[in-house]
Amino acid sequence: MKNNNSNINLKNLFKKVFFVDLVQGLIVTFGYTFSKTITLRYPDEEKWIPYKRFRGLHTLNRNKEGKELCVGCELCAKSCPTNCIKVVPAQDKTGKGIADRVAARWEINLLRCMFCGFCEDACPTEALKLGREYELASLSMQGQLRTKEELLAPQEIPVNFEGGVIVKARLGRDEDEVSVKPDLSVQKRWW
Amino acid sequence: MFDLINMNPMLVMILEVLLICVKVVVVSLILFMLPLPLTYMERKVAGHIQVRLGPFRTGPHGILQPFADMIKLMFKEDIVPAKADKWLFKIAPVIAMVPVFAVYATVPFGESITIPYINKEITMYISDMNVGILYVLAIAGISVYGIILGGWASNSKYALFGGLRSSAQMISYELALSFACVGVVMLSNSLSLVDIVKSQSNWRWNILYQPVGFFIFLIAGIAEINRIPFDMPEDEGTLGAGYHAEYSAMRFAFFMLTEYVAMVTISTLAVLLFFGGWDGPGFLPGIVWFVIKVVAFIYLFMWARFTYPRYRFDQLMTIGWKILLPLSLLNILITGLVII
Repeated sequence: MKNNNSNINLKNLFKKVFFVDLVQGLIVTFGYTFSKTITLRYPDEEKWIPYKRFRGLHTLNRNKEGKELCVGCELCAKSCPTNCIKVVPAQDKTGKGIADRVAARWEINLLRCMFCGFCEDACPTEALKLGREYELASLSMQGQLRTKEELLAPQEIPVNFEGGVIVKARLGRDEDEVSVKPDLSVQKRWW
Repeated sequence: MFDLINMNPMLVMILEVLLICVKVVVVSLILFMLPLPLTYMERKVAGHIQVRLGPFRTGPHGILQPFADMIKLMFKEDIVPAKADKWLFKIAPVIAMVPVFAVYATVPFGESITIPYINKEITMYISDMNVGILYVLAIAGISVYGIILGGWASNSKYALFGGLRSSAQMISYELALSFACVGVVMLSNSLSLVDIVKSQSNWRWNILYQPVGFFIFLIAGIAEINRIPFDMPEDEGTLGAGYHAEYSAMRFAFFMLTEYVAMVTISTLAVLLFFGGWDGPGFLPGIVWFVIKVVAFIYLFMWARFTYPRYRFDQLMTIGWKILLPLSLLNILITGLVII
């Protein structure tokens, strides 16, 4: 027992005299110096593509024949906790929807929306889906109102793209818009 | 081709003076430009240790970042606090800056080179004082006046505390630093830095004979240049920014310059005293080896800065007076006994 104690003391003395702990600390930081960075060079060179489950900007879908899936049932508007969705149903005989009832107007106020996804859950035809677009900043309040036509257009990231990766991107700037265009072919994960 | 010896002695003297002037200008310019690469290096080292990238957006790999910083500092408002001691406040950065530059009057950078065609030998130092090491330690110590006066003149409690801590630290660690140098001086039998380096040629580096001395020198040196883990005078956690809390724009830049040049000074001294100066394998010229060693030391200081936490002030004093000072005295004693 006594021998053991003196052993420990000798060890501690050795550690103190030769600064073993300090050297170990230096080795740790030196290792990190040459490890891969976790920095995401976001607007300039890289962009994060979220997983499929991500709840971003809403998108209105069409079926395989290109007909609007939305039947203007207003369930999304009713289920919305913040009352940010406005649907005006209308009768339509031209066959642009899957039924003779379509949404004449479908508007969402993103300032009020909290991206809870209740509308998506309420939708009976799977017309409404929360997509993966998350760059929603705008220069005016008006820019936060999205209409049916805007939402019907397909989003930049395809629906079947797996996501959860960092892709190469390019920052595009012009007078009224700043956008980050992703290039889905070059993917990387830092972890 | 002409021979200098046959020329008019008056002309030779003028040329000599001109040569010294040129050397002074070149050395000062290099020292003035030093913070640019050093801030970049420091930020890159910090970034990579913290698994970041460091500056990246100004120029390729952020290489223009120091210039951006310089421009920013130049155009910032030069604020003098209303209740500050105006004259002292303005003069303090200069008091801090001048000594660290003056140190380089006696620092040798490499072996003397001979210029071809005119057979003129040019020494790589401004002057070879026979008390070089003493001069360096004495002049470098004056620099702390700038810090103390800057802290005092700011009329701010944080700045004042920074200045006070700096003076206490300087007094405690200057002793150990000087005593650590004494061992080297005993080995080389000279106070001249050139002679000290020459005595270490052919791989007889002092680090092999004076490991304890080097160790004391390194720790006291880090304390002397106020870097983590001994950066009490500018302890962000407790003092805001310490002695330069009230400074802005170019006056702040002068303090930064002082700190970086002081760091280079300590690295240079460590190389000259313990690592054989420009001694190294022959395939590169001596001055390149010298620069490589100095940069390695600077990297060590930066590396330590982003590895260690800061010591408490009483711990700092304990280390200085109770460990380093007796150890350095013991080192001198043993060195003396071995030499006899």
